[in-house]
Amino acid sequence: MVGGLKRKHSDLEEEEEDEKWDWSPAGLRSYQQALLRISLDKVQRSLGPRAPSLRRHVLIHNTLQQLQAALCLTPAPPLPPEPLFLGEEDFSLSATIGSILRELETSMDETEPLQNPAAPPSPQNEVLPQPDPVFLEALSSRYLGDSGLDDFFLDIDTSTVEKEPAGAPPEPPHNLFCVPGSWEWNELDHIMEIILGS
Amino acid sequence: MIPGLGALTQDTLWCFSQVKGTVEVGATEADIISTVEFNHTGELLATGDKGGRVVIFQREQESKNQVHRRGEYNVYSTFQSHEPEFDYLKSLEIEEKINKIRWLPQQNAAYFLLSTNDKTVKLWKVSERDKRPEGYNLKDEEGRLRDPATITTLRVPVLRPMDLMVEATPRRVFANAHTYHINSISVNSDYETYMSADDLRINLWNFEITNQSFNIVDIKPANMEELTEVITAAEFHPHHCNTFVYSSSKGTIRLCDMRASALCDRHTKFFEEPEDPSNRSFFSEIISSISDVKFSHSGRYIMTRDYLTVKVWDLNMENRPIETYQVHDYLRSKLCSLYENDCIFDKFECVWNGSDSVIMTGSYNNFFRMFDRNTKRDVTLEASRENSKPRAILKPRKVCVGGKRRKDEISVDSLDFSKKILHTAWHPSENIIAVAATNNLYIFQDKVN
Repeated sequence: MVGGLKRKHSDLEEEEEDEKWDWSPAGLRSYQQALLRISLDKVQRSLGPRAPSLRRHVLIHNTLQQLQAALCLTPAPPLPPEPLFLGEEDFSLSATIGSILRELETSMDETEPLQNPAAPPSPQNEVLPQPDPVFLEALSSRYLGDSGLDDFFLDIDTSTVEKEPAGAPPEPPHNLFCVPGSWEWNELDHIMEIILGS
Repeated sequence: MIPGLGALTQDTLWCFSQVKGTVEVGATEADIISTVEFNHTGELLATGDKGGRVVIFQREQESKNQVHRRGEYNVYSTFQSHEPEFDYLKSLEIEEKINKIRWLPQQNAAYFLLSTNDKTVKLWKVSERDKRPEGYNLKDEEGRLRDPATITTLRVPVLRPMDLMVEATPRRVFANAHTYHINSISVNSDYETYMSADDLRINLWNFEITNQSFNIVDIKPANMEELTEVITAAEFHPHHCNTFVYSSSKGTIRLCDMRASALCDRHTKFFEEPEDPSNRSFFSEIISSISDVKFSHSGRYIMTRDYLTVKVWDLNMENRPIETYQVHDYLRSKLCSLYENDCIFDKFECVWNGSDSVIMTGSYNNFFRMFDRNTKRDVTLEASRENSKPRAILKPRKVCVGGKRRKDEISVDSLDFSKKILHTAWHPSENIIAVAATNNLYIFQDKVN
């Protein structure tokens, strides 16, 4: 259970329609951060010896896209020069999720007929499906932690989420989101390191 | 049929009848019941579990001596339907868990059912044997071949009575037709065909032909990265063999007519309720995902279950359901936690009673709910060992949402989310229900006055 989050969440849902709604910066940010952390964790954990549930995967993917849209309302701050980062366009979040779905498709390639099952499964470490190398590299790269969350959203394809739904919450103020060097930036940093380090 | 059958009036009291399954706390995961289904007469009740087994219960004949005691269900047959498999090419395990069982209508002395796991559908024949032939010419009593030189006379074997034996044999195996996980099977009203649905495709089979099937729905996009919606359930119309519905993870239902085209990619009807903007959240789509869809026995309505509600739709009205019932709306403020612990992905089923007047679905804490469509009354009952005295009347339960908790109420935070009732079944013509609570099967009946 996400302990202290419940109260903030229900606050949010009660006030969603209120035009004069006071976006408590800490509340919204920690809520969205938590959702993002939970979602990424689920995506990571869903790769295993069993064929993953496509329904669950698609629902989490769609939720992640909504989170991206919500967190992308401010333009990304200019990046610090980072030689390792040049040309690495694949490290956007949507591409990461996309590569997971590609991996799913590869693993479910329908041109391959089903093998005759006879022997029991091999030990765990021999049969784990290998995720897309691009994805693996994205996860393990330390500079993602250093550069912070906004680097994830560099190449987001926002065409699917461009239209604002009716009754969407008002746009949060600009100072709400991460500026490099701010304590929120470091906090997100820390969260990403936890995810990547696990 | 009992007059006023199924009406959830003040007079309807549900009583405990039986419970099947082990009592110990550490029951294995293989024993978890994954599907429950009565056959068309209600004489048989089948369950499937995570270990790939099917257990069929048969209702005993009602005895004249005990008119107040309705027939009990006793084990009739147990067999291993599916085994775990391993796909070496893709390095993936294929679970043996039985996702669905569907009975065929009885056409002779034997019973037939379809059972499916994620990949393979099987047709099982369950038949009785109470006689055996004796007096073979070429075999002795133990079945060993006799030396032909010793055979000097010819005789005709005779059938002699033996202890009743119920045997289950796999008659057909329908394999290699589903790339994704099968979530539904449905027998057509023509009794010659059935369909199987996975996340992205629906196939039509003829019972006699196992090496090919017709693909009738395919929603797989050319680029899997564009995938945003999957098929969650599908069912044939109970009377019109050309009509079926399928539901999606975005809360929509499509009704298709197989006469329109070979590939039913264009629906005949599209059922969707417009979203309520005041309830919008990051979880709106997940909780709108339909986990079950069922035609009414009359064929005039469909019922859908999403995470928080059950909805009844009139086939003639596509833009909104005619009835919406709140199953456990108190969970709406807990969605973030339920997302984190994965409960938000639980797939609850829903069922109609025989007269389509009452609908039932499960919830958490081993609670299940019934809604009377006519009187608009609803009740929450619990499947637990504590209420397991024979013919004990089930006391309605209540969840306390806020404020002061009354003595018999349970607060939302005390609910046990590991005790979920996903699968229930209602006898086709009587007020007898089967409720699967993890590894236990509860059978309840209404009180015979």
